[in-house]
Amino acid sequence: MLRLEDYKAVFATLGLIGVLLFASPTLGFVLRLPSGEKFSELWVLGPEHMAEDYPFNVGADVSYLVYVGVGNHMGSSAYYVVYVKFRSQSEPLPNATAGTPSPLEPLYEYRIFLEDGKSWEAPLNFSFSDVFFFERWSRVRTVRINDIAFGVNKLALWDVNNTGYYYQLFIELWIYNVGFELQFHNRFVDIWLNMTG
Amino acid sequence: MKGLCARFVKAPVLFLLFSMVFSLSLTRLPFYVSARDEASSAIGDADNALRHAFEAILEAERAGANVSGLIARLNEAGLFLAEAEIELRGGNSSGAVSEAHTCFVMTESIIEEASSIKASALAERRESLWQTMLFSLTGSTSFIVLLLIVWILLKVRYFEKLSKMKPEVASDVEA
Repeated sequence: MLRLEDYKAVFATLGLIGVLLFASPTLGFVLRLPSGEKFSELWVLGPEHMAEDYPFNVGADVSYLVYVGVGNHMGSSAYYVVYVKFRSQSEPLPNATAGTPSPLEPLYEYRIFLEDGKSWEAPLNFSFSDVFFFERWSRVRTVRINDIAFGVNKLALWDVNNTGYYYQLFIELWIYNVGFELQFHNRFVDIWLNMTG
Repeated sequence: MKGLCARFVKAPVLFLLFSMVFSLSLTRLPFYVSARDEASSAIGDADNALRHAFEAILEAERAGANVSGLIARLNEAGLFLAEAEIELRGGNSSGAVSEAHTCFVMTESIIEEASSIKASALAERRESLWQTMLFSLTGSTSFIVLLLIVWILLKVRYFEKLSKMKPEVASDVEA
């Protein structure tokens, strides 16, 4: 037969477990468990919504289609701005190490509000016009993005190593931070384009 | 003589013509500058309004409200602001002003609704907290009382059992 002291210990333990069980719904209101890592996604997909068949050899007056997407895993709703920019090889890209955006002016933009855990995707149609080739240079005067024309006037030198006139369409992700200032979110994706005429 | 007179007439006429053309171009320039300024200002106002609307929605979300509907409406307003920025970059100031104004108007109703659902969510949360605390308190107290009753009964039974037990005499006790 167990001693009375042993029964005391059992009852004390049962009492503590019971109190914790009944108190747990209230503790759920008060305690905040640590959340996982916060991050955002940015992607660009080809015309079939796959990571393939990206436009590469491009010409004037032909329309190309890609899809831009953003995913929110920041733990709360977020306000994103997606900037579409266009550069020639000699112009700067964003600096991922320093976390700074490209100083080039954006051409097109999307403004997106996303709840936590949700994602957004939109088509990006682009084409080029007023494309000239002279000596070892190519010049693009106009880029159309989603049926809106932008005057760009970009020059590209013939790339001897990669044999082509190379440009880049790149997309930067910006976010409104806790102070509600727009800042570069250190995410960008790009598509290399070889201007063939 | 005739040539001299012609020269004296030609110069002032030319000067007058030049002054007229120059002043005409000057009068058009401020108009262009002010249209662009007006568009920038409208876009700035719309941008501020959109940010305030988002802040209001975030606060409602933190209070536990369901903000999916408001987020969808905010995205529509954001479309207009993006269009306004693009129009301004393309040089269409009047288009930019129109789009920015539409964005601004949409955000006003969003801010009002966000404040309203935040207040409702806070009230619901407070009510829910009180009910949960009451349940926890009642449940814990009842459980402790039950355990005490069981403990007392157990103790009574234990001593009853103990008193019924006969002492045993050891066989190897020295005389």
